[in-house]
Amino acid sequence: MSETVINLSIIDLALVYGLVLIAIGLARFNRIGQERALLWSSLRMIVQLLVVGYLLKMVFTIASPLPVMLILLFMGGFAVHAVGARVKEKMPRFYQVVGLAMFTGCGGGTFFLCTLVIGLTPWYDPRYLIPLTGMIIGNSMTGASLAAERLAAEMKERRHEIETSLCLGATPRQASVDAVRSAFRAALIPSINAMAAMGIVFLPGMMTGQILSGTEPLLAVRYQIAIMCVITASVAVTSFLILLLGYRSFFTPACQLRIEP
Amino acid sequence: MIGSSGETLAIEDVRKVRQGDDGRPVEILRGVNLEVPPGRLTVVVGPSGGGKSTLLRLVNRLEDPSSGRILLSGTDIAAIDPLQLRRRIGVVLQLPFMYEGTVLDNLQRGFVFRGVPAPAAKDAGLLQILELCRLSVDLLARQARSLSIGQQQRVGLARTLLAAPGLLVLDEPTSALDRPTSDQLGRTLQEICHQHQISVLMMTHDLRLAQRVADHAAFLDEGRIVESGEAGSLFANPRSEGLKNFLTSPVDPREDGHV
Repeated sequence: MSETVINLSIIDLALVYGLVLIAIGLARFNRIGQERALLWSSLRMIVQLLVVGYLLKMVFTIASPLPVMLILLFMGGFAVHAVGARVKEKMPRFYQVVGLAMFTGCGGGTFFLCTLVIGLTPWYDPRYLIPLTGMIIGNSMTGASLAAERLAAEMKERRHEIETSLCLGATPRQASVDAVRSAFRAALIPSINAMAAMGIVFLPGMMTGQILSGTEPLLAVRYQIAIMCVITASVAVTSFLILLLGYRSFFTPACQLRIEP
Repeated sequence: MIGSSGETLAIEDVRKVRQGDDGRPVEILRGVNLEVPPGRLTVVVGPSGGGKSTLLRLVNRLEDPSSGRILLSGTDIAAIDPLQLRRRIGVVLQLPFMYEGTVLDNLQRGFVFRGVPAPAAKDAGLLQILELCRLSVDLLARQARSLSIGQQQRVGLARTLLAAPGLLVLDEPTSALDRPTSDQLGRTLQEICHQHQISVLMMTHDLRLAQRVADHAAFLDEGRIVESGEAGSLFANPRSEGLKNFLTSPVDPREDGHV
């Protein structure tokens, strides 16, 4: 497949970076600012991608499961950390809840796709495992943030409703079912929107990449359908677990809401 | 009889410390002692911010006291299963929350939570409670949130009474009501207490209401019960400066901006 891809030389890259320089020049000439940010972020992008490129090349050559697993663990850890940075109101035992949910949701999805559906040989083939897991973790991360954020906000907003239910003899689960429902909806909206718009509003990145590197379009479409299904399931499982483990952490063993008036 | 027989409540040296906005501990209740006798209407009066709402939240364990204990007919409530406790003590929070749906849906909610068959619109017990709370049968099919605040207050009360509690506890039930509506609610509470033998504990800063309906009264100020006793003599001959000032305070409780 790779022989159909046209090579890009350093000179070609210098040419396209010229475009960024022109953009910076325009910004400077018109005194509208942002030239520093443009320069810094473009350089950062180049360095990060080059590092990833060399790292992947190394991992591909070593062809051993250990470095692949380390990379996946690093991605997962980074994702949990990113969720923590994004969610301002953290539920009790936040990192345990999010970590366990992400590990189960993403791990399960990746295992299902790579082992049972695609059937990788060897099972750790980094050319498939790393990008596919990356997409699954990335999307689940968004779902996890939305679920955790929404749950905390709903619990707070619905305090009066929840305590009224407790007064009427509800269990914590019954009292928080509406809050959980609305947080689950919020977590799934990006996946639902993405699936609905797919192919019409935008061509998904993975499919575009495969087509560029010479994959037959219908096969690329099949891969895209497969990854979308797994992403949706992983997002749903991750968010569901966060909500299931999370709502309990808002209540004491004596069925009291932990949010004080 | 609507409820189980009237329960007694004994609050013994209860303290409650909360984290203030600046992170420092704030003592909301500083050793409260109060006796709620069976089948009588006990009213706790006092200015806003004196600890009435907090005390109410401790009674059915929405929160636990920092120290001290509360006995329900002789048993420490910390030893009673919270779901069981909340059935024996019916608490009506200030401005009761109305669930989406009809009035009937709201009345049946507690049964749904407890997983027992809910009474239908023609159930005799339900009709009796509607009448007691002065709610017309025609309201059952109305959307609960479209009702007036006064009607919602009554739906909240009826919803709690349907669980047949032995003690009814209310937080500022008249804070959003005008005088006639508030007087009517007062009469309903007296009926619940005296004719149906359900003990009633009401927290209010509405002195007028308290003087009209209370059998037994207590004055709660700055986290302490300053004095308590038989309502008539307590209001006629207040001993403490605090209660004297509170009784002669010119501010209409409904106009001090606190709802």
